[in-house]
Formats: sequence, C-alpha cells, structure tokens
Amino acid sequence: MAIEPEPVVPLKHVVGFKRPRFKESGLMGVLLALGLFLSIFGGSLQVTNRDTSEVVKVNKFMRADNLDKLAKNTSFFAIMAVGATFVIITGGIDLSVGAVYCLAAVCGAMFLNRFGPHGAGAGAPAILVVPGAILVCLGAGALCGFINGLGVVCLRVHSFVITLGTMAIYRGIAFVMTKAQAYTDFPPQFTDGFVRREINWHGASLYPVPLAIMIGVTVFAWWYLKHSVTGRQIFAVGGNEQASLFSGLPVNWVKVKVYTFSGLAAGIAAMIMLGYYGSASSDAGKGYELDVIAAAVVGGASLAGGRGTALGALLGALIIQVINNGIIILNIDQNYSQIIIGAVIVLAVLLDRINNTLRERRMTRAARP
Amino acid sequence: MSAETSIPAVGFRGISKRFPGTVALNDVSFDVMPGACHGIMGENGAGKSTLGKILAGIHRPDEGSLLVEGVKRHFHSPLDAQRAGVAIVHQELSFCPNLSVAENICLSHLPSHGGRLDWPKLHERARFYLEQAGAECDVQEELGRLSTGQTQLVQIAAALATGAKILVMDEPTSSLSAMEAQGLVGLIARLRRNGATILYVSHRMDEIFRLCDVVTVMRDGQHVVTMPLAQTNEAELVRLMIGRSWQKMFPEHIDRAAGPERLRLEKFSSPGKFHDINFSIRSGEVLGVAGLVGSGRSEIALGIFGLDPKVSGRVVVDGAEAHPRSPRDAMKLGIGLVSEDRKGQGLVLGMECGENITLSSLDRLSRGGVIRGSSERGVIANFFEKLHVKAASSQVPAQTLSGGNQQKLVLAKWLARESRVLILDEPTRGVDIGAKGEIHRLIDELAAAGHAILMISSELPEVLNLSTRVIVMRGGRLVAELARAEATAEVVLKWMAGCGGETLSGSGQSAGCAPS
Repeated sequence: MAIEPEPVVPLKHVVGFKRPRFKESGLMGVLLALGLFLSIFGGSLQVTNRDTSEVVKVNKFMRADNLDKLAKNTSFFAIMAVGATFVIITGGIDLSVGAVYCLAAVCGAMFLNRFGPHGAGAGAPAILVVPGAILVCLGAGALCGFINGLGVVCLRVHSFVITLGTMAIYRGIAFVMTKAQAYTDFPPQFTDGFVRREINWHGASLYPVPLAIMIGVTVFAWWYLKHSVTGRQIFAVGGNEQASLFSGLPVNWVKVKVYTFSGLAAGIAAMIMLGYYGSASSDAGKGYELDVIAAAVVGGASLAGGRGTALGALLGALIIQVINNGIIILNIDQNYSQIIIGAVIVLAVLLDRINNTLRERRMTRAARP
Repeated sequence: MSAETSIPAVGFRGISKRFPGTVALNDVSFDVMPGACHGIMGENGAGKSTLGKILAGIHRPDEGSLLVEGVKRHFHSPLDAQRAGVAIVHQELSFCPNLSVAENICLSHLPSHGGRLDWPKLHERARFYLEQAGAECDVQEELGRLSTGQTQLVQIAAALATGAKILVMDEPTSSLSAMEAQGLVGLIARLRRNGATILYVSHRMDEIFRLCDVVTVMRDGQHVVTMPLAQTNEAELVRLMIGRSWQKMFPEHIDRAAGPERLRLEKFSSPGKFHDINFSIRSGEVLGVAGLVGSGRSEIALGIFGLDPKVSGRVVVDGAEAHPRSPRDAMKLGIGLVSEDRKGQGLVLGMECGENITLSSLDRLSRGGVIRGSSERGVIANFFEKLHVKAASSQVPAQTLSGGNQQKLVLAKWLARESRVLILDEPTRGVDIGAKGEIHRLIDELAAAGHAILMISSELPEVLNLSTRVIVMRGGRLVAELARAEATAEVVLKWMAGCGGETLSGSGQSAGCAPS
C-alpha cells in the first residue's frame, strides 16, 4: 500500500544539520594536480639573487614571483567571476562585465590623472585621493550594474540582450570620455603606496594587495550567499522564479541587486588594474566577459540557474590562469592556448554534469522501497 | 486468425519505475489484447500515465520487460516505439508550436526529394490524417495558433500518421469540447475496425464505460485488477481506485464556533475569467469551492493573491479594504496560497526542504539582512515535527520528497509566515492515499486552530467532507452557496454541470450536459 519509501527517522536525525559535502573538492583536486604537474615537468631556471648576487636554480612554476604574477593575473578575473556568479545563479547572464570594467577604469583613471603629479589637483592629500579613487571605480561599476538590472527588470528583456547592448554602450561612453587616449600619471600614493605595494621576500618582489582583495571579495561573497537573506533569495529566484514570486519574494529587487553586485565586482577589478598598471584606456578589458563567464562555469555555476559558489568562481578563474601560465612554462606555442582553454571549459562542464547525473541516480536509488 | 489474436498486443511483465522520491510503478503485469480498447484507470498519481509513457518509449522501465505483439522490446526513444508501431497522444507532449499543422503531423517522416521538402505531398498527407482524426483546420496554420482542443486532435492525427497499430491515449478528452469528445468516440470505433489496439488512460468513468471493453485499475503504482467492463460497475471501480469505500468524515472544526471574518470578496471580477464573486470566510471555517476545470475557481485564487492585474471589486481582509497587487502584498496581508502547480509555483525543488519552509519568512528570521541560523533551524524543526514531514533530513533537496511531503513543505511555508488566510488549490493533487488522509486531517486542524481556509478541489468527496460551507462555480460565476448539510454530492454535481433541475444519471464527474 505505502509506495513512498519514507523511513520514520528519529527527530534528531531529521533536523540533524550534518555538514554538506564540500562542493568544490573536485576543483581543488584539479588545481592541485595541475600545480603538481607543472612543478614536476615545468623545469627549472637559473636566477640571480638580488641581495646576495648568488646564482640559484629554482623551479619555473613553484617560485615566488611566478606565483605572485599568477595571483595578480587571476585577481581581476576571479573578482569579476564572483560577481558574474551572482548573476548566473539567478539564471541570468552579464555580458557587459568587460565594458563595465573598462568604464570604471577610465573614470578612475581620469580622476587619478587629475590628482596625479602633473594634474590640476596635484598635491592633494593621499587620505582623500585614495578613497576617492576607490569610490569612483566602485561607484561607476555599481551604477553600470544597477542600470543593467533595471533594464532586465523593467524592460522585461532577456539579460543576454540587455547586457549585449550595454556592453557596447558602456564601452562607447568610455571611448567618448577618453577620446581614445590612454590616461596615466597617477599619484604614487594610489599605485605604489596602495595596490602595487611591494614586499621583499627572499629576494623576490611580491605584490600581495591584489591577492588580498581577491580573497576578501571571495570570502565576503561566500558568506553573503550562505548567510544573508538576499543570498538565499538569489538561489530561490534562480532555482524557480515562479515559485519565488508565489512565495512573496521581491524577485525584481533581487535581480537588480545581482546585476549591481556584478558591476561592483567589475569596479573592484578595475581599481586593482589601475593601481597595478598605472594606466587605463578605452580598450581595457576587451573580451573579458567571456573569460569571466568561463571561469564561473568552470567553477560549477549552472547557466540554467540555481547553482554556483563564490569559491568555485575563484577556483575556476585560477584553473584557467594556471593553464595559461603552464602553456608559457612548458614552452607550448602560444597559438595553442585558446584551443586548450576552450577544451578545458567544455571538459569541466561535462565532468560537472556527470557528477550531477550520478547524484540524481543515488537519490533515485534511495527511493527504492 | 484465432491463433494470432491470442497473442497479446502488449504485455507488461513486472514493470517498475522509480523517480527521485517516488516509486511510480511497482511490479506491474497485465496483457492488452489486440483490437481492444483497453481502459487504464486510477487516481492522480496512480501511475497510469507513467505506464503509457513507458509503452511509448518516453520513459524506460527500471525493471521488468515489455512485450509488443509477443516480441520483447526495449524502447530507447519515442522513435523506437513508433518503429514498433506504438504511438502516444499526450496532452503535455506538445509539438513544435512554431511549425505548421502539416509539418507537425508529418514531423517524423517528412516527405522529400533529395533533401527538398515536398510541400504538396506533405499537405495532402496531413489533410488525410486530419480528416481521419475528425479535425477541421487549415494544414498551413501555425500550430501555436490553434485552440488546445484542436491541437489535441492534431496530435491524434500525428499519431495516426506514424502508422501506429497500438495507440496510447493519455487523457485525450481533457481539453476537448463536448462535441469534439463525441467525435473521438466515432474515431476510436473506426480505428478499432481498422485493427488498431487502443490503451485509453483516463480517470473519467463515463468515458471508460462508453469506449472501452476491458479496464485495468491502477492504485499507488500497483496493478489492482484487469477485467472486462461487462463484469463490473461504477461503484466497484471507484472502490478499487480509492482502495476503500468512501466514508463520510466528520471534521473537528465543524463543532467549533467560527471566529471573526477574515476575508470578504465583493463584486470581485476579472474580465473573461470570473464575474461578480461575493463570499466571505471567517476564522475557523473551511470554504470549499467546487467547479469544473475552467469554471474560474483557480483564477479567483490568483486574483486574491495579487497575480491578476485586471481584477476589480473589493477585497476586504480583517475588516479593512485591501488591494493586493502582488503575491508580496497578499503575503503581507496574511494570505498564503498553496497553488495547484506544486512543482512549478510552490517549491524551489533544487533547494533544501528546510530552506523551502523558511523562504517566505526570512525577513522575520533575520537581523540586519543576516539569517539567524538558530532561529531558522528552530522553525524548520518545529514544522518538520508538527506536520510530520518525512524526509531523510531537512537538508535534502525538496525534489526527493514524495508528493504529500512536498505539499506539507508548501503548507509549512505559509504557516511559518503565520498566514491566517490559506488558499489551498487542489491540496491533494498528486499525493498518495496515505498522505492524502494526513493532509485532510491537517486542514481540519488548521481550521480548528483559527485559520480561514479557502479550499478549491476537483475531488468532490474532499470538498464535501472537509468544508464548513461549499460554493459552486460554473462558467466564471458563483452559482450556489450551500451549507454543509445541504451540500450533497447530487446537489453539488447538479450545480457544477449546470443542469438546472434535471437529475444526473450515474456518478460521472463530467456528465452528459456540457457547461455552456
């Protein structure tokens, strides 16, 4: 009679909050395997220690300045991928991240140039210039994202179309603002004093600030998705938008928020780029949107919505950058890099799907009477 | 010839099929003889549709084997089944709405000359099968522009076009008008004369008696009986389907005095959906809504819940006039809707059970936008215990639960929000018998606890048993409001069908007189 396999479980098990399986363990494994492979087969390099003038042999991959460069290269993409993951969890897509990154960078660059050593506002105190620049970058990014969100919600057009449009619009605005020229000449308090602050470690110069910001953003996003009301609502909207509406969630407001977050993340990435390279032009971040979405997808975000993690996005970006780095270290022809990265993206999504199928099968088996 | 006919057209041998969280079919075995119109009956969730889908190659059985004309078959796709001469007509299996009627009918074998479509032949063939199916429509029309009834006839034509000898019809009359349904009777007779075997899946008693000669009753995924219709009657079939005779239940809340008025509708209308609806529900009452599909009963629920921008009239909640313009507004007024589409509108299936329960009340379980884990766990544990939700843990995805337990999650979501007015639309659809009783008890308890409940259901026993009062909808109008004592099956059916003073023959829900 009873077809439902409903074992009567003691209450303490029913509400026993067992820790869910670590979702990113697969990505961690891939990353470790890649690192190990490159450490072993990457070969070594003769390096002269700056302090002691001693010539030492170091591993090409596992050396401080390579890893530092890797972290810096990853930081832009990882931060934007974390933002894009928010959008992807709701089932949307943000193609404008590259353009938002560019526009935020250009706004920041014009601000910094004005207060730079030869600008109109030269000599302004660092205590005002640095937060001001941060505010301009982050504000411009968040505003662009907010407009994307309003477009998606108010015009009821698919996010792909809206952000395809704003991608061109934002880049166009950046182009018009700069008249296609690069802005440099920033106050050193922002570059060397903040983003490009250097530390010496066993004779290597390291730049830890981009890495620190990347970790900070990821940790915050992880916490936010897990513990905030909005985070929960983001997953609900992506999992079933209609049910979310029927449950009285502010669906439109949640959507506006995720696009704003995505824009804000692009603004943070732009700020790091400005400080690190000390210049920006209207070409900045061309084609980044696809790298960013690739990182999010490799990190386990589902374009169908409802699934994705901040740590996954970080690891996805890191895996792609490690492969890029590996191509250089292993002296593989640069022309092959796109083929390899493309294959990795498809492979990652395939593995993810196999993993899901297996899980579904386990659940079906659990329903056996 | 007689030797041939002794080989069954279809043989099910120990078929089992599981979906996450449910066992849809459990060791089902029976034969369908060639040339028969074999009815398959059962309540919602009995597994009758799953059986049809397995035969048509849409689902693959987990266990057991399928014999088609004596040959063991493993269908991997509907195309495999079509090659073996099996086709299905199913309401949920829509075709390509962007293509023409003719293209849809001939989709699996479009006539062509070296890759170029042969349009004249395509249209000719489509017209031929449409005529067979008794449909009248232009073959060049886009399918998406047809009415649901016409679309269904096109589907039948398409099934015929595959040259199927065995035809599975899954609730084929659910969206046909009375006249089209009448045409179907003739069609089935013609098909049988041409040697086709028909599996007719339905829960409508009158159709089964009119069309079929053999019936199989399914219950909770199990085969109950297969017998000639001549040897049985309606009462016995109902008893077999429900598994027990329908006893009158006397809910507790009836004895309690009703409290203050919670919800009142005055001249509540929405163009084309419902018109001039007036009723009120008091705390502690269950107001049952009876009516056929399309009578406007679910539309009223959506209207109250702020999902119909065109409503007019007054909604009075707790004595104050309200204008719910969105589910969020309605929620803030203390109204909760348990929608008839549980999977589409009720739950986020991929999320944890517990998260589904607290979805609507997160703002109350948080401080400064941060969810207070301990409060949330407390609420979840409370409702798991109160509603007897059966799940491996509160952290498994909602999709792994059975229909009844999923329904409890939806209810818990509104109870967690402390909604005082609950609108339940088909609260026991797709819920197995055991859980059905539990949900009925729960509804009674909630009413006794002072909730005001509006219960919409197409199951008459449910409405009659649980309700304090019953209102009957027909054609978008409220045609009767009956006290519990007045609301007998006979009276309510009469109002539903709109037959005025005439008495109805039999107990079929969709009686002969069509609602105009």
